[in-house]
Amino acid sequence: MYYGELLLVGLVWGCTYALMALGLTLVYGLLRILHVAQATVFTLGAYVGVLTATQFGSLTLACIAAALTAGLIGPLIYRFVYQPVLNQPPFVPLVASIGIVIAMEDGFRLIFGPYGKPFDHGATLSASYGVGGLNVSAIQALIVVIALALVVALNVLATRTRVGIAWRATVGDRAMAESFGIDVQWMRYLCFFIASVLAGIAGMLIGLLNGLVEPGMGGVVSYKGLAIIVLGGLGNVQGTLIASLLLGIVESFGGVYLGDYMDRDAIAFLCVIVVLLLRPHGLFGHSR
Amino acid sequence: MNLTLRTLFICALLAVCLRTAVAADSIPIGFHAPLTGFAAGDGKSALQGAQLAVQQINAAGGIKGRPLELVVEDDQARADQALPLANKMIGRGLRIVISGSYSAPTRAAAGVFQKAKVPYISAYGLHPDITKAGNYVFRVSFTGEVQGKAAAKFIGDNLKRHRVTLITLDNDFGQSLSAGFRDVASRFGLTIVSERTYAMGDRQFGSVVASVKHDDPEILYVSGYFFNGGPLVAQLRAGGVQAPIVGTEGFDTQDFIAIAKDAAEGVMITTSLDRDSQAPAMRHFIDDYQARYKVPANMVAAATDTAVTVAAEGLRRAGSDDTAKIRDAIAGIRDFDVATGRITFNSHGEVLKAAQIQVIRGGAFHHLATIDDPVLLAPPAN
Amino acid sequence: MDYYLSVATFAALNVTLALGLNLITGFCGQVSLGHAAFYGLGAYAAALCSTAGLPFPASVLVGVLVAGGVGAIVGFLALRVREDFLAIVTMAVGFVFLGVVRKQRWLGAEMGIANIPSTLSPLAYGVLSVGAAVGVALLSLHIRRSWMGRAFDAVAQDEDVARSIGINVARYKVIAFFLGTAAAGLAGAIYAHLAQLVVPDAFNFVQSITILAMAVVGGLGSTLGVALGAIALTLMPELFRFVNDYKLLVYGALLVGVMRFSPRGLAGLVQRFSGRALP
Repeated sequence: MYYGELLLVGLVWGCTYALMALGLTLVYGLLRILHVAQATVFTLGAYVGVLTATQFGSLTLACIAAALTAGLIGPLIYRFVYQPVLNQPPFVPLVASIGIVIAMEDGFRLIFGPYGKPFDHGATLSASYGVGGLNVSAIQALIVVIALALVVALNVLATRTRVGIAWRATVGDRAMAESFGIDVQWMRYLCFFIASVLAGIAGMLIGLLNGLVEPGMGGVVSYKGLAIIVLGGLGNVQGTLIASLLLGIVESFGGVYLGDYMDRDAIAFLCVIVVLLLRPHGLFGHSR
Repeated sequence: MNLTLRTLFICALLAVCLRTAVAADSIPIGFHAPLTGFAAGDGKSALQGAQLAVQQINAAGGIKGRPLELVVEDDQARADQALPLANKMIGRGLRIVISGSYSAPTRAAAGVFQKAKVPYISAYGLHPDITKAGNYVFRVSFTGEVQGKAAAKFIGDNLKRHRVTLITLDNDFGQSLSAGFRDVASRFGLTIVSERTYAMGDRQFGSVVASVKHDDPEILYVSGYFFNGGPLVAQLRAGGVQAPIVGTEGFDTQDFIAIAKDAAEGVMITTSLDRDSQAPAMRHFIDDYQARYKVPANMVAAATDTAVTVAAEGLRRAGSDDTAKIRDAIAGIRDFDVATGRITFNSHGEVLKAAQIQVIRGGAFHHLATIDDPVLLAPPAN
Repeated sequence: MDYYLSVATFAALNVTLALGLNLITGFCGQVSLGHAAFYGLGAYAAALCSTAGLPFPASVLVGVLVAGGVGAIVGFLALRVREDFLAIVTMAVGFVFLGVVRKQRWLGAEMGIANIPSTLSPLAYGVLSVGAAVGVALLSLHIRRSWMGRAFDAVAQDEDVARSIGINVARYKVIAFFLGTAAAGLAGAIYAHLAQLVVPDAFNFVQSITILAMAVVGGLGSTLGVALGAIALTLMPELFRFVNDYKLLVYGALLVGVMRFSPRGLAGLVQRFSGRALP
């Protein structure tokens, strides 16, 4: 079942991209900022996850620790880096964001060492199941399940809670939301909190999948995340989700069939160029 | 100036003079490695190996009583960083320089050192063009092609397997290994069923694993470094691939085993280090490295240790500061015992030595076989 | 002596690169995160020509034209997308360039092109690089004061308004890209002969960001500022040994700091304190 396996692999990649890209699109939707520094909280989540798991032996605890640490740092980045420059031209927060990514890659190397930390997923996650002729590993299943759960949770939050509705109002029309008494500042903190939690969990999951946590692991994922949110239509959550899954699958098959002509990473970016040439506002975007 | 201040001033002056005096007695050896950037892991190993060699040589009296001193620079594994560094080292009057870095920066710097007639030793950079820069450039490790040939012989003659899939890291390291392998594959009765490539930054090999299962070979020949090879091997086994795996010296480090864990059991590698060796120089290196750094030795460190040892030997035999004499002394090294075996240089600055096949059992490397075919392992001589 | 010459040569090349980016991003307001790709294009094109036997000046010319030509095409792409999208598209161009070049056997794949014939002495390269930097700087200063400069400025401020007063926005965007990327190609062609080796990794995203950092720290839009920024960031690791170990940390922190406190860079600081703009 060669194609089935490639499809599954692509789906799993797509799920991890989705977690990253969701955060990016949420931030963009609210603030028009390309939050490349997601990479930093992604990697931080991975390191916290691996250290907690090694120390306490519990992956659940590790996941919570990763999510909370990341969730704490994200809003801090907003407060100290983005907030002061909100009224500057868009390249300013973007360049600052890139600066954070570059600085922290070195930072992680200095704190945690250059060799990377092996991530032992323990006996339970080493299992694999045969599902209709396909070999599905426990980690792959876990990633899909967690991603699904998070997306559903986010959807419920956005549509059925007061906080969620307030947030959507703020995204739609800030001035109007403010006039209804919504604290825009808190909405922003919430936005970064959620985006960072997603990234931190994604980081830990990728660390598990790779078996290895490295200082530079966030970079390319974050840049691809940017490519994805452009493809999905900046600020469009559903578009982002679909684009993430599609990209994962394209990379999986493309790696095999286009591998002689280009790098796997380049595939994502080629898609961006091609799609933007045909639909300048992304696959699902709307002109402003 | 009052008395206290004047005394302090004189003391400081003396201290500076003394320091310079002490420094002037030592022999500086240039050394560059990727201490920051993506290759920092290997850079650290490289530095540690070099420092160990310096410590051992100085403990045994240095070069005719004068201690060696490493002058260390960080090239971030980039050619554009290595070039100015090379010029800097030449400007400092260094008589000999060692590259503890990857191929691209080594190749760029080699041209500069050749033009300046300063002997330059590449510890583990395998690009064939490094030694083509000229007769002042030496290499103490196998070129990629030679290693690939050793692997092919091992798989065909020792393991008696025939249907191979190559999983190649897409860089100069991986590509030269595969080229060497392909060159002699038919000679050892091997059929290359397929070749799957991956990029330096890949850590998720789902599509490679799926493809390998589809290709269904008897055995895999995998090139890479520990940070991609480790995840790759782990994912291959987790995905249900049972075929034996032969890897390359990039896996020759405990970090590989730490990442791949159970999947590393039974993986064989072509390398120059034999953990079970009783050869004094190799044993000395392996034990001392473990003792000093509290982690097991690896191939990169062994390579830089060898390079420093060879440099010191060249300085000792030349008995002078004259770089031409040092170069000739190194070129004349034959059957010299170092951390990576017994080496002999050919007329192009390449070494001839035996290849070790190690296997991972019980979470550690052990001897499996030695490939000692001088014709097959003959370094390039063009 | 050789060492200082070497550093000066690289500083001059970086100035050329940063000034080229300044034309695109600083003058014309088109954010480009893929500038290293054009550096690479110039380097590879020149390398191919020289290894095929063409004389040095011809190789350099080819490098400049190839980079500029592809740059103009990217400029056309820029017409379709705006602002944030453009930043991502240029980043994508950089990644695609790298991804494709890595796999082409005729470009040496990962091993790149080696043994590029080098006919000039280190001093000659130094002079040539400085000459290139000065040339691009003079061009920038000239454009700044010319009608083209004003058109660029208008496009950078507000495209729609510019269009409404009759400026052919499309034409100027493409010209900006052409000039900026041609400058990068020039730097690349010189680099190829200086290093005698071109490998794909020398032209990756980090390199694009490094060039951007130089332009941003100096002050986008200011020729002198950008040149000083490039020189400062090239010299920094050499002047401060301790910075060498934390180079990337410092670079990144610098970017954040400059964006946070003085988004107009060095030039902005000068303007704030002296009241006069840096050209």
